[in-house]
Amino acid sequence: MTMNIENKLTLSRNVAVVSGIFCLAVSFLLLLNYWQVSRFDPLESKAMEVLVERLSENPDDDALKNDIRNMDLLARKAYFNSHWQIRTGSYLLLFGAVLFAFALRMYHSLKSKIEVPEPHGEDELQARLLSQKWILISGAAVLILALAGSHASVNHLTSFGTGKPGESLPVTKAEENIEVIEVGGEPVLQSGDSLLAADGSAADDSIGMLAGDDESPRSTTTPAGEMSLPATSGAETTVNFVFPEAGTLRAHYPAFRGAFGNGISAHKNVPVDFDGPSGKNILWKVNVPLAGNNSPVIWGDRLFLSGANAQKREIYCYDRYGGKLLWTASASDIPGSPPTSPKTTDDTGLAAPSVTTDGNCVYAIFGNGDLLAVDYNGKRMWARNLGMPDNHYGHSSSLLAWKNKLYVQYDTNKGRKLLALNVQTGEMLWETNRNVKISWASPIMANIGGKYQVILSADPLVAGYDAETGKQLWSASVLSGEVGSSPAFGEGLVFAANEYARLVAINPSGGQVVWEQDEYLPEVASPVVSGGLLFVATSYGVLACYDAKTGEKLWEHDGGTGYYSSPVVADGKLIIFDTEGKMQAFALAREKNLVSESALGVKVVTTPAFANNRMFVRTGNALWCIGSK
Amino acid sequence: MENDKIKSRREFIRGGARISLALAMGGIAGFAAAGISREKWVWQIDPFECTQCGRCATECVLTPSAVKCVHAFDLCGYCDLCGGYLKPNSNALSTAGENQLCPTSAISRKFIEEPYFEYIINENLCIGCGKCVKGCTSFGNGSLHLQIMHNLCVNCNQCAIARSCPSNAIRRVKASEAYLVKGDFTKD
Amino acid sequence: MNKGSKIATRFLLVWLLMFTLVTGMYGQQQRFPKPEFESGYAQPHTLTPEPRSTAMEWLDVAVLTAVMALSAWFVLCKRSRQGILWLSVFTLLYFGFYRDGCICAVGSLQNVALSFADPSYAISVTVLLFFLLPLIFSLFFGRVFCGAACPLGVIQDLIIVKPISMPSWLRKTLGLIPYIYLALALLFAATGSDFLVCRYDPFVGIFRMDAPFLMTILGVAFLLTGLFIGRPYCRFLCPYGVLLNWTSTVSKWHLTITPAHCIRCKLCTTSCPFDAIDRPTDPKVIKGSHDGAKRFLVYALLIPVWMAAGGFVGFKAHIRLSKANPDVYLAELLITHPEVKKDRDNIDVQTFLSSAKTMDQLVEEARGIRRKFKYGSTAAGAFIGLVIGMTLLNQVIFRRNEDYVPNNGACFSCGRCMDFCPVERKS
Repeated sequence: MTMNIENKLTLSRNVAVVSGIFCLAVSFLLLLNYWQVSRFDPLESKAMEVLVERLSENPDDDALKNDIRNMDLLARKAYFNSHWQIRTGSYLLLFGAVLFAFALRMYHSLKSKIEVPEPHGEDELQARLLSQKWILISGAAVLILALAGSHASVNHLTSFGTGKPGESLPVTKAEENIEVIEVGGEPVLQSGDSLLAADGSAADDSIGMLAGDDESPRSTTTPAGEMSLPATSGAETTVNFVFPEAGTLRAHYPAFRGAFGNGISAHKNVPVDFDGPSGKNILWKVNVPLAGNNSPVIWGDRLFLSGANAQKREIYCYDRYGGKLLWTASASDIPGSPPTSPKTTDDTGLAAPSVTTDGNCVYAIFGNGDLLAVDYNGKRMWARNLGMPDNHYGHSSSLLAWKNKLYVQYDTNKGRKLLALNVQTGEMLWETNRNVKISWASPIMANIGGKYQVILSADPLVAGYDAETGKQLWSASVLSGEVGSSPAFGEGLVFAANEYARLVAINPSGGQVVWEQDEYLPEVASPVVSGGLLFVATSYGVLACYDAKTGEKLWEHDGGTGYYSSPVVADGKLIIFDTEGKMQAFALAREKNLVSESALGVKVVTTPAFANNRMFVRTGNALWCIGSK
Repeated sequence: MENDKIKSRREFIRGGARISLALAMGGIAGFAAAGISREKWVWQIDPFECTQCGRCATECVLTPSAVKCVHAFDLCGYCDLCGGYLKPNSNALSTAGENQLCPTSAISRKFIEEPYFEYIINENLCIGCGKCVKGCTSFGNGSLHLQIMHNLCVNCNQCAIARSCPSNAIRRVKASEAYLVKGDFTKD
Repeated sequence: MNKGSKIATRFLLVWLLMFTLVTGMYGQQQRFPKPEFESGYAQPHTLTPEPRSTAMEWLDVAVLTAVMALSAWFVLCKRSRQGILWLSVFTLLYFGFYRDGCICAVGSLQNVALSFADPSYAISVTVLLFFLLPLIFSLFFGRVFCGAACPLGVIQDLIIVKPISMPSWLRKTLGLIPYIYLALALLFAATGSDFLVCRYDPFVGIFRMDAPFLMTILGVAFLLTGLFIGRPYCRFLCPYGVLLNWTSTVSKWHLTITPAHCIRCKLCTTSCPFDAIDRPTDPKVIKGSHDGAKRFLVYALLIPVWMAAGGFVGFKAHIRLSKANPDVYLAELLITHPEVKKDRDNIDVQTFLSSAKTMDQLVEEARGIRRKFKYGSTAAGAFIGLVIGMTLLNQVIFRRNEDYVPNNGACFSCGRCMDFCPVERKS
């Protein structure tokens, strides 16, 4: 059977019409589906979130669980169904469109007869003139529009770097917000030769000179705050940097675990008999505005620490005699500082590294990588951001300053480095890449063979770096895991340890392991070595004493709940706080001799700081001063 | 006669232009040959750069995305409490709907022996949203991570996800080493 | 210093203590080491399906060459429109729906541009061939690539239903767009900012049956327009068409409307949907254009002016244009609106801030890109100026045509006109 032209024409027309309508209908459905999905994504359902939220409040609500499961199933069905619909719809649309195009072509080719060719066509000359006109117009229009469109655009890149970073210094003088908490008696206000010590140049290397400090507290008529408050009023004071000698450092308590971070205090008459709850021998206790797990450091009459929350980062300066908050320096408006704080665990927090000082400035680093120096009036000297540390617990390594350099251990998941910055300008002097994994330990400084070294402990290397150049002098591949304990130096040996790894004594002249032990290993607390004895405190509450030379275990003490606070040797005793705030003092002896036990009554995870007759402990939001009245 | 002249002149000009264009193309070919590679190049995600922003699920020209989660079993801790499988603060360590993190339930959890569980991705259900990757990277070993699956990827001349990736984690790799599975390759 | 979550995982770790002590130092350190199974558990393999092999890429090159060769044969020797039509259908199915529109010669010009600008960018041989082969074929046989081997072209060609003829002034004016698009595409590709041609390819979404909403709308709009205006993308947008136009203009052989000689029957005049047939020149018209010589001189002298103006505009536009680069955009955003740093939902800003990259580095990079734009955009502007000047000049040049002949540059070698010619083939 053959179709005549007329029939074919009708057929193709009908097919075109039907397929056209089909295409329109499918397109409409697809649009509807698209609109629905874009308006409400079944996988990001708000209702679901609300239900889950409710479940966390009533964890045992079985009906609620069932509701969630049903809704979850429905959401997934809706999601996959809509995808199936879109896919099927597009195939149908394609099919319809092909049919439509085919039928339409057919219809037109059947219908079209050979057209009568245009008798003249357009007037060639006329057309060319018109073309020239339009090309001129549109060519000019393109250029003018482009010019107009780009006229107002400003190159903002040139404006970067011209503004002075960190010029505004938010120094809030602490006034009303200081609160001296009465703990079992009058806060004792003292002053004295403290200002002398504040000046690095005035302090000489003899500890004896300072030994008389505080022995007979003198009450003064002037309030301590005013007395020790230096002139801050607007004067453009510049710090005359004087780099203290090692002995001067030891006379103060300038860093986490004292001078050079070695855990040894040179101060006398350290109080070991007190009681927090009853206020016995608690001279004062003040609130610290922002919490932090860093430990206090002391220079002369000033005590420094830091605190942070997700919004603010602050350095605090206290009058160590009266406990008055002298000033607060805020780490804000630092160029390159990330807008949001990193996620940290509560045990670490955003202000875990302790500040350090060298008698010139206070240096602080925070969990977001902000590093800054402020002078003793709280005026910012410099500030910079080292880049947000990629650290799953939070950055915790404390700072160390020696001569003109500030040392920063910056071991993160993204890069492991020891940095040295110019203390006066914050300029990066050198950085040494470390072939280790991320670590949390703080640097210590040691004079080995007449040369100062920065010693760091990490997985796997314990290594010494030339304090001048940053060159790695020696290393020992001995540790593993997540190293939080700092090394210790004494008896010519470097001691390092980590939980689940080992405790080693290393000869720093070549990095050879002299002895190793693995019975009691610290997790957080750092070891300390003094008088041939090495002390190690574990996070499950055992304090162990080893012979530093041989590694022979001399004694152990299962003391309490756990040690996060590092043991410190002061006044011929080993002093340590457990996590429940119980202080134990042991004699530095080869046999166990618990000299004293006192309780602060609150959780302690930081390491105490010492001055003659005084001990300072930071507990989260409070600062305690302990001393005999 | 004159016509022939015009024709031959035109032919001559065209010939000259043809030769110069051919030379230009030769020049391009020669210059490009300097940076030429016999390899085919494909797009891949560097899992160490990835920040799990979620754009892989939405920016790919394919729906669902050619980006899927893969599991580097060697790095897995086989934990019961799996940050990639369970919602944070989940109600129980079970497979129940209210506990699963994956919006499409693309991860199946199988008990092996006390206290270990195996986690397997069903690529057909995975939409590449990276939620599990974020969970595993934050709380676990990071054995779950995103990769571009080359049986799906149409290998666009310029990858739409690469352009919108905030951490520039997507780069071209040789087709002979088309995957950057964690464990097989390491950072640095 | 405290490490909190370590405490939470203590029990698990203690359990693993033995294992850790033995291998802890040497094994890959992980938060949760892989357990040693006692139940004989067999670990599955991570699935990594192989990409399409390189050999298949060469197959694509071979198919492309074969299609163009066949097309040239159909057009020049066989004179078969039918052959071209079926070849088009094959191309649509193979390069379009099967290969998803990618790899394509049109886009490849960006790879070539980028490989020129960035020596570290490796261009594969097959991509270079995809760029060169159509040009080489066009240099010898005319635009046989457009006629039957380009999926973007054939999808438009196959749906032409009732083409309407456009006045020449409109064609010439719209014909400037591909040059501008080419200049921009090269500029953006060479600066490593974007592949515009691929990003705004209206048909690739149809081939993949999957596209963002706006691109679908654009593709459908092009197709609907294409029912009445033959190949709108090819004629008024395609940047690769510019290059093919140049090479095809001087092609060695080219499709002819008549197999023997033209009898000026005018039957073919309405056959071309693309207005690509030149009419015989009317000597009267040429004579009539008495001010032609003067105009020629003026337009020729204007060319440097156009180029200078274009270059100036290009230079002025480089700041605006470079803002399309994501790095430049981010750097400027952070400089002008530092408050976005607090916007937790701004993924780009947040990712940058948490990266190891410093603001100084970002700004330095952005400045480098802007510098590239400064030169590139000036050159692009001068090129556009040159094109405008040359197009104007072309309007006063008359080529003597005796017959109805295809315009070699604009002709897509689709072969429609051949069927309209009543002249018999010489035996």
